[in-house]
Amino acid sequence: MSDVALALAPVFLPLAGAAMALVAKTLRGSGPAAAMEAAGAAVGLVLPWAALAVLLPRAAGGGVAFVVSGWDPAIGIALRFDGLAWLVDALGFAGAGAAYLYSRGAGPRGPLFTAIFLIQTSALAATASTADLFNLFVCLEVLGLSSYVLVASSGKPGAFLAAFSYLAISSAAMVFFLVGLFGFYRLTGSLSYEGISAALAALPDGGGTAASLSSACVAAAVAIRVAVMPVYGWLPDAHALAPHAVSAVLSGVLIKTPLFALGRLLEFLPAGPASMELLGAAGAVTALAAVLVALSQKDAKRLLAYHSISQIGYVVAAWGMGTRVGLQAAYLHALFHALFKGLLFLSVGTAADAAGGRNVYEVRGAGASLRRAGDRRSITVVAYAVGALSICALPPFNGYASKGFVGSLFKGEWRYWVLFAAGACTIASFLKLSMIFLPAKEAPKDARTAEAAPAGAEPPRMSVTASMKASMILLAGLCLATAAFAGRIMDFTGTMLGVGAGAPSKSLYAAPELAKAGFGACLGVALFFVAVSKPGKRAATLVRARPRSFAGLVLAFAVGLAALGARLVLFP
Amino acid sequence: MIARALVLCMFLIGIAGLVAKRNLVKKTFALAIMNSAVVLLFVLEGSSIGDEAPLLGGPGASFVDPVPQALMLTAIVVGVCVSALALALAYRLYKAYGTLDVDELKRLSGHE
Repeated sequence: MSDVALALAPVFLPLAGAAMALVAKTLRGSGPAAAMEAAGAAVGLVLPWAALAVLLPRAAGGGVAFVVSGWDPAIGIALRFDGLAWLVDALGFAGAGAAYLYSRGAGPRGPLFTAIFLIQTSALAATASTADLFNLFVCLEVLGLSSYVLVASSGKPGAFLAAFSYLAISSAAMVFFLVGLFGFYRLTGSLSYEGISAALAALPDGGGTAASLSSACVAAAVAIRVAVMPVYGWLPDAHALAPHAVSAVLSGVLIKTPLFALGRLLEFLPAGPASMELLGAAGAVTALAAVLVALSQKDAKRLLAYHSISQIGYVVAAWGMGTRVGLQAAYLHALFHALFKGLLFLSVGTAADAAGGRNVYEVRGAGASLRRAGDRRSITVVAYAVGALSICALPPFNGYASKGFVGSLFKGEWRYWVLFAAGACTIASFLKLSMIFLPAKEAPKDARTAEAAPAGAEPPRMSVTASMKASMILLAGLCLATAAFAGRIMDFTGTMLGVGAGAPSKSLYAAPELAKAGFGACLGVALFFVAVSKPGKRAATLVRARPRSFAGLVLAFAVGLAALGARLVLFP
Repeated sequence: MIARALVLCMFLIGIAGLVAKRNLVKKTFALAIMNSAVVLLFVLEGSSIGDEAPLLGGPGASFVDPVPQALMLTAIVVGVCVSALALALAYRLYKAYGTLDVDELKRLSGHE
């Protein structure tokens, strides 16, 4: 098989799997249908790993750039499968595979869910390797459409509303993307990144204001998908109300792939570095602001959703440096975040289902509820502990390596301290979330829980099945493995992205860094006690009660777009 | 120039509807209007170099630029998918709560 055909395999194998899942829907008899669906899932989520394994040497050696079906580059679709595409694909298939495994146990189930899930995975792979502006538009729309359906697939009415808001704001943003695309086509008559770049370079002023405004439209539209400040408002509802498995993919994979795809485009544009710088600064602010909101939440999954925004802030901050080392740090944190946040969504979701509530101020004794639900070895609790310690960036977990790496890029800048403060708040908010695992104290107050109190008297609300456990064990194992081999993974990503193996894996464990982590942890514990005190709770209520509306979301997008446009036009 | 100004008006009407209307179906219409405005913009631009249909064996000299038309064919398909899904979601919300008003829905579904 040629390299070109292989490079398309990560896109087409999940599509083939989706087709098989749809065929399964037409089969009579549950046996053959289930077998067909499982085969489709295997084709879509497992086979691509074989293709990735074969492609590894080629991707490390510079990658393959080609036009699909060998059309003339002026009208064909340009793709580029390089080290970055390989890494983003690996991230996507790892996150999606583990989440799908979980959904086999916890639902949603059925061939339709499988088909849409696989279409989304295929769009992820396509987004990662596209080098054509219009193809990027189509990939983002397919990615979006499948994710709206998946958010709504939990069947809760609130999830329909969240999916609608997500759909409305991101479709409106995609219209602006088209306007930006129009600007580039008019200026350059080309849609491939290379064509646009070459034609802009030939223009006397590099395209001037028109090119700057077009770049701003495209970058702002993609920023909505990445959920960086100020355009993050759709994310908490969508991620909190989606089924747990879908939340894990949305937060682990879906918000990062568009960022790396945007980075690939911005490399070719004259306005690229300035846009990345502004987005990166917004990312650092996001990291701190979102974690403060997270600290005030009472819904366990919503708290995790705000953490996704905060952690993507770290990723965007590193990515915004515009250097290869920055990209490497961004990818590393994106990968580790996909693993530990996926794990957190699955374990917290399982615990909340077992305990029958998601309010972190009320739910207690989740460990006991889980044991009643069939998780005798406390796998969920251990999985949660691994995920929480990783996201809190305590050594030697993987979050420590990636956050340390991101932080080391900003030594001596304001961003360094912003990210440090965000880290301390992360610890505080996870202490707060961990309260659901505290043993239930004195006699339960309200009558409903009083009935549930005698152990075994009430049938468990759900059961923790083998595939849910397998999925959590898989992700926890990956978290621990990436922590153990963090240095090797840094060297590997460095090679793939053309940085070379010069990552600061050794200096991460130097005494000052460890002291800083210890100081951050103490600060986090102190913050936790402030947050659960009376005034802290009152402040939290105020933060939760801040008005959030759809019009506000559109306004935020307009402000973001205007800021980016002004930055690019006035200070070229 | 007038054509462009009209397209801009259409685009602004779309945005205004998306922000100001509280009915989910009207929001969906507003999205479709915004999308159509951009489609018209592309087609208008493509026709600035000629307005004959770009067919093999045609009169030759003044073809429209076929690339924007091909792009917009795809964009229209995407737009239809978005509208269909938005209407499906609105229908499910109406079945669950008996209203299409977004503020009312927010209150009923207990959004914080």
